[in-house]
Amino acid sequence: MAEAPAWAAEARDEAVAALDALPVLTGTEEEWRFTPPAELGMNGDDATGGTASGTIDLPAAAGRSARLAFIDGAPAPAEVADLPEGVIVAELGEALAAHEDLVRDRLYSLAGLDDRPGALNAASWDAGTFVYVPRGVEVTLPVETILTATGATGRVFGRTLVIVEEGARATVIDRYLSPDLDGAVHASSVVELFVADGGELEHVSYIGWGRGVRHQATIRAAAGKDARVRSVNVTLGGDIVRVEPTMYCRGSGADARALGLYFATGSQHFEHRVVSRHEAPQAYSNLLYKGAIQDTAHTVFFGNLVVPPGAPGTDAYQTNRNLILNEGARADTIPFLEIETAEVKCSHAGAVGRVDDEQLFYLMSRGVPELEAKHQIVYGFFQEVLDEISFDELRDELADAARAKVR
Amino acid sequence: MADPILKIEGLEVAVEDKPILKGVDLEVPQGEVHALMGPNGSGKSTLAYALAGHPRYEITGGSVFFDGKDLAEMEADERAQAGLFLAMQYPVEVPGVSVMNFLRSAVNATRGEEIPVREFAKLFKEKSALLQFDPSFADRYLNEGFSGGEKKRHEILQMALLEPKFAILDETDSGLDVDALRIVSEGVNAQRGPDLGVLIITHYTRILNYITPDVVHVMYEGRIAKTGGPELAEQLEQEGYVGFGSTEPAAAPR
Repeated sequence: MAEAPAWAAEARDEAVAALDALPVLTGTEEEWRFTPPAELGMNGDDATGGTASGTIDLPAAAGRSARLAFIDGAPAPAEVADLPEGVIVAELGEALAAHEDLVRDRLYSLAGLDDRPGALNAASWDAGTFVYVPRGVEVTLPVETILTATGATGRVFGRTLVIVEEGARATVIDRYLSPDLDGAVHASSVVELFVADGGELEHVSYIGWGRGVRHQATIRAAAGKDARVRSVNVTLGGDIVRVEPTMYCRGSGADARALGLYFATGSQHFEHRVVSRHEAPQAYSNLLYKGAIQDTAHTVFFGNLVVPPGAPGTDAYQTNRNLILNEGARADTIPFLEIETAEVKCSHAGAVGRVDDEQLFYLMSRGVPELEAKHQIVYGFFQEVLDEISFDELRDELADAARAKVR
Repeated sequence: MADPILKIEGLEVAVEDKPILKGVDLEVPQGEVHALMGPNGSGKSTLAYALAGHPRYEITGGSVFFDGKDLAEMEADERAQAGLFLAMQYPVEVPGVSVMNFLRSAVNATRGEEIPVREFAKLFKEKSALLQFDPSFADRYLNEGFSGGEKKRHEILQMALLEPKFAILDETDSGLDVDALRIVSEGVNAQRGPDLGVLIITHYTRILNYITPDVVHVMYEGRIAKTGGPELAEQLEQEGYVGFGSTEPAAAPR
């Protein structure tokens, strides 16, 4: 990484100071009662790393407009196919100086230093990606970032900053991958997404860690007037994963959707805390998370629609559905609303159900073996979320990865 | 004479420990169409589900041999792979699973090999026309939002695609208007032949006006109470089930 400019060095010092000042997380805090913060390294305690059972082959960069990869936080050579004039895809560390005018005001402004996950990441991130799409420009193929962990280090940090200007369009994928590790690695990631008036962004976060990785992920998206933002989060890998997406509707006519798919197996523990905040009138948001849970895995979904005073005409929905594949698997769902404006349309729903024996029998009575029948039922259950991913090849890959977990 | 395709002897079936079938004896020679009639609660649908291998229906006594194989030893998918088909009274909705994917996997599973995509497309086109389905139907999710008639036609379409050795039609006529009943019946009649045995389970005689049975059985209180030719259905049409201790009619309400 290039020498950081003074403002960035100061920001890092502030983050270190914030980390010292913030109370240690004990797990008794309301928002931490489902996932022990110490297990995610939230108090700065480093994990030991571990030996990898193999290596990860980075997926081909074909079909991407640009791709950055970071191995344990260290950048691999970037692959850039072709980007329209004015579009920037760069390491965030380089961009601090090279694109200070674009980065300085935005970085840390959505996810700052006011909580430990934010301060921890701000103090230590190294694998960083910066994407900038100027006004009216469309980047047709996705920009992709891959963060991998090899177990050589006990911690990996990722940070992504995306700015989509007025009327611009882009798709950005953040992928988190590792082989199975026999020790523990703590991963921390923060994604800040800014979509200006009339802009469109699809962001896909794919958490595909192997065994041994514990990950706290923050995703925050700000949608301007008439902007469309879609945050798709797919959580399949890692031992303990906590993902916290928040959608900020900052302009009227904004359309913000947070879609999620998770499949926890073995003894995996996933928590998703998904929020939409309506800071402007006449905006639309929809949170849809669907999860399958197998073996002795446990998942938690907390969803919240926040409509402070002054956001009339808000149209906001949240749904969480869980499919339990066997006895011993567990899902908790906690849908929440904080509505302080009259004249809003809001709804929330949370459900936990088992694989329907009648569906299973119906498929099997047509000769489909039980495992294949379960594959189809799980795939069908996820279809509603998968349908929202625009790139067929990515959608198929995610569908296959999810199906492969059914036993 | 060859063994019957379906041979049921002294079959007892319980649902959640409650005995429903109390010693059913029934034989269907291959190529014949038999009707199984009876009032509500006589055990007709229980027999259908027990034959198809629904895990809730427990065989507690007797035996069922299908094409020489002991069905009690086989899971539902194995029974289907062996050539048994059940057209259900209440086809199940499976959200997110497309009709096309489902049908292809069912054909692959029952054939025991992958059917080439092109061959399947041709087969699907041909059979769906027979059951009067629009091609766009393939992209819909399994039974989701289907009308009652579409669900039943879709069951018979599956039968046409899977080409079973033996098909059980469980109350296929229920909830169908005359047009749908005709389409469904024509679909079944088109498949009729020496390599297909059929058991039509029905409360009412209506469907038997379209699919003429070789033999009619009447079930009552978990046993076969009477067996006869097509004239038995006509008799039931006139008299209802009164001769079996039930006041229910067998002629469809008009």
